[in-house]
Amino acid sequence: MTVAEKKDLKVIVFQLKDEEYAIEVDYVTSIEKMQKITRIPGVPSYIKGVMNLRGVIIPVVDLRSRFQLEEIDYEENTRILVLNKDGDEIGFIVDGANDVIDISSTDIEPTPEVVGGVKEEYLRGVVKMGDRLFTLLHLEKILPKVKD
Amino acid sequence: MASVLVVDDAAFMRMMLKEILEKNGLKVVGEATTGDEAVRLYKELNPDLVTMDITMPEKNGIEALKEIIAADPDAKVLMCSAMGQQAMVLDAIQAGAKDFIVKPFQEDRVMDSIRKVLR
Amino acid sequence: MSQSEYLEVFIDESEEHLQAINDNLLKLENEPDNMDIVSEIFRSAHTLKGMGATMGFEDLANLTHNMENVLDLIRNGELEVTPEVMDIIFDAVDDIEEMVTDIASGGDGSRDIQEITKQLESLQGIETEDAGEEVAATATAAPTTETSDEIEETFDEYELTVLSQSEEQGYKAFKILVTLDEKTMLKGVRVFMVFETLEEAGEIIKSTPSAEDLENEKFELSFVVTLLTHESKTDIQKRIEKISEIASVKIEEVNVKQEKQKKLALEEKEHQEAQQKEEKGTKGKKEKKPSQQSSSPKEKSSSNKKQKGMELNKTIRVNIDRLDVLMNLFEELVIDRGRLEQISSELNNNELQETVERMSRITGDLQEIILNMRMMPVEQVFNRFPRMVRSLSRELNKKVKLEIIGADTELDRTIIDEIGDPLVHLIRNSLDHGIETPDERVAKGKPEEGIVKLRAFHSGNHVFIEIEDDGAGIDKEKIMNKALENGVVTDEDLEKMTDQQIYSLLFASGFSTAEKVTDVSGRGVGLDVVRTTFESLGGVVTVDSELGKGSLFSIQLPLTLSIIDVMLVEVAQEKYAIPLTAIVETAIVEKKDVYNAHNQKVIDFRGKVVPLVFLDEIFDAPLKNEEQDFYSLVIVHKGEKVAGLVVDSLIGQHDIVLKSLGNYLTNVFAISGATILGDGQVALIVDTNELIK
Repeated sequence: MTVAEKKDLKVIVFQLKDEEYAIEVDYVTSIEKMQKITRIPGVPSYIKGVMNLRGVIIPVVDLRSRFQLEEIDYEENTRILVLNKDGDEIGFIVDGANDVIDISSTDIEPTPEVVGGVKEEYLRGVVKMGDRLFTLLHLEKILPKVKD
Repeated sequence: MASVLVVDDAAFMRMMLKEILEKNGLKVVGEATTGDEAVRLYKELNPDLVTMDITMPEKNGIEALKEIIAADPDAKVLMCSAMGQQAMVLDAIQAGAKDFIVKPFQEDRVMDSIRKVLR
Repeated sequence: MSQSEYLEVFIDESEEHLQAINDNLLKLENEPDNMDIVSEIFRSAHTLKGMGATMGFEDLANLTHNMENVLDLIRNGELEVTPEVMDIIFDAVDDIEEMVTDIASGGDGSRDIQEITKQLESLQGIETEDAGEEVAATATAAPTTETSDEIEETFDEYELTVLSQSEEQGYKAFKILVTLDEKTMLKGVRVFMVFETLEEAGEIIKSTPSAEDLENEKFELSFVVTLLTHESKTDIQKRIEKISEIASVKIEEVNVKQEKQKKLALEEKEHQEAQQKEEKGTKGKKEKKPSQQSSSPKEKSSSNKKQKGMELNKTIRVNIDRLDVLMNLFEELVIDRGRLEQISSELNNNELQETVERMSRITGDLQEIILNMRMMPVEQVFNRFPRMVRSLSRELNKKVKLEIIGADTELDRTIIDEIGDPLVHLIRNSLDHGIETPDERVAKGKPEEGIVKLRAFHSGNHVFIEIEDDGAGIDKEKIMNKALENGVVTDEDLEKMTDQQIYSLLFASGFSTAEKVTDVSGRGVGLDVVRTTFESLGGVVTVDSELGKGSLFSIQLPLTLSIIDVMLVEVAQEKYAIPLTAIVETAIVEKKDVYNAHNQKVIDFRGKVVPLVFLDEIFDAPLKNEEQDFYSLVIVHKGEKVAGLVVDSLIGQHDIVLKSLGNYLTNVFAISGATILGDGQVALIVDTNELIK
């Protein structure tokens, strides 16, 4: 980990409500347009269901709902970020994917207690680049628990 | 410096072999992942030695070996086999392979074999 | 992580060798004099030792080494195969198994082997004291080939003639002792290379062991080849040394005259020995020295008859992951096929329809081939049971014979992987609760030895596995009492139950009828776990029994898992798939025919009270069903119990590919997986077992 910390980080910046958030690009396998999601009964409400990603069935989480932000109808810009963590794929619904940028670990500052209503435990830090400010997410904390 | 063409469909095995070879002063001039590619690269690069995996998709190592030997009867091909492929290895030796090494590779064993083949 | 691939190979091979050792040990028990079996075991142990040492698993290497020593004593006739000896060897194998299991699960394979080592050593020690002289003799005799000045080789009449003729023609004859490197793998091929190299230089007239044994790796590390050649000793030496993995080469010229004299002397000696033996009669065994001279001519004559040559196996090893990838790709194809069929029926174009039909047929054939590739014989699972039954019956002081029938019956490997443990449980159960003690059996007029039959066979789209014993049978009264005690059933329930249903109570949660808890099945795991495992594989377990005569446990399993037949239904505008295997039939009932019983809506269906399960409620559908005057039902069963699933409409029957919901979504209530429909939509598969109480 220490080596990784020193290195520059490539992140995907995406929109959620009126804030920008980022996630390491290494985790992202693709960005999909909104598509039909099949509801799964009896699971937490932020898990919207499953979708067919080129023949693989993957769960889809609504990040607004996960962060307890107000939910809105999906629209043209809505995207599904498909992430792969240790071989398990999962989709995150976000308001829009903005761009991919390089940041240096020195740009990451500690998180203020609450950012746009998102709990601190989900966050890894705040990145300030010029007049742009976005929050780096802590993927492990956001993912649902993997059961055996 | 002797030049080597490494043939194996598994990237892991190629990586592993390459590391051993280069550490011992050999030059890996090409890597092939299928039998066909091996034959093509052999003709193109004319390496001093080929390490040839046996089990590969499409054209296997033995077929590729036969084609290489047909094109260059002096070709030095070293077969890489897994345990339990006795019959295949035997086939390969009969077809003109100079020696064989068995996975898992051990550096001294691999180099011993290569030195003998190259001599 | 480079070690992991090695490790995989190591574990696979080790397991194969352990299995071979186990099989052969059991054979050896029945044929204690068959030294071929001992050699086989020795070879496996030796390979294990080599592999263990290569991977740095010292305990494994040490233990196998020790076992090898004991086997060597047996092979040399210095140690008799008694049950006690077998027990110790079996224990050692158990330890090795534990080590390999530990390694497979990420451990370092270390284990306390002091006790077993002591036992193995005592086997060697006792023998050393008993027949100290003899051991000492072989100890010096064995390495002769390596250390003594002369290479041991004897020639028969014919060979001597060839030798002297060649000598006249100016050929030199060499005895060449080749010793392979200890770590040599594929020794047979290495030998072949030596032979090939030597044949470039001259003619091989003899080898010890025989060429066949050498190619089949029936030798340790050294062998002797006799070569006729014009080349010099040094040239030959150089040729062989070019081959890798050769530890040493020793060459000696054959002195034909001396060989002839040696042979005469030997014949004389044999003659004398034979006479002595006749005179001394019974003392024969101890007198017989396992010297090479006396045994090799005999071996030779038998091995000469066999033709040289290797069997070429026309199979290749394919990584199972690749088969899984192939299967996944094929599943994609099945989905697209569904889509195409749908489009083609909508477009109603003749040519298109023909093509699609043809494609369907071909993919059907392809499916069969791919599924077949994934099939493995149940032997993979069955072959561990003889060992288990042997040790269990000793533990329980019972005499049990295990008969295995249909071990070549094939099943999908996914199923094979899962059925091992539940079968172990059932067999343990038969031994523990089924088969009586020898005394009881004799008292009942049964043969002392009980029989457990493990049978596998095909029938339609299913494979049946049966475990039958000729033991005490199941005591119906005891089960009923116990079931009442535990509150599993009521008196009323029992009255309505058939015998088989009562036996099935054995599989109810927390049920154990054993009066005394034994080590064997009193492990707190009930047969209910067995049932759940089989059911999760789409299997059905039934029991039949006759008191005093025995019991029969029967498991019906699907041939393959991944592609299943389902009924697609619509519930509140969502599509669900219900496996056909669970469906009894579909029906439509009018609402006025629905009754309330104990707050539960039920119908009278063919004279049976069938509870209704409203899927829209169970699945918490956000949208509501359209109000209709009737209910569409899918009647499903779980064993003998049935329920009516209420749906909006029946879409139809489909072949679908079962897919998992992934690691994030496990244990979703009443959903066992999902599938992708022809239009790309995902439909959930209903686990009806969870809906039937």
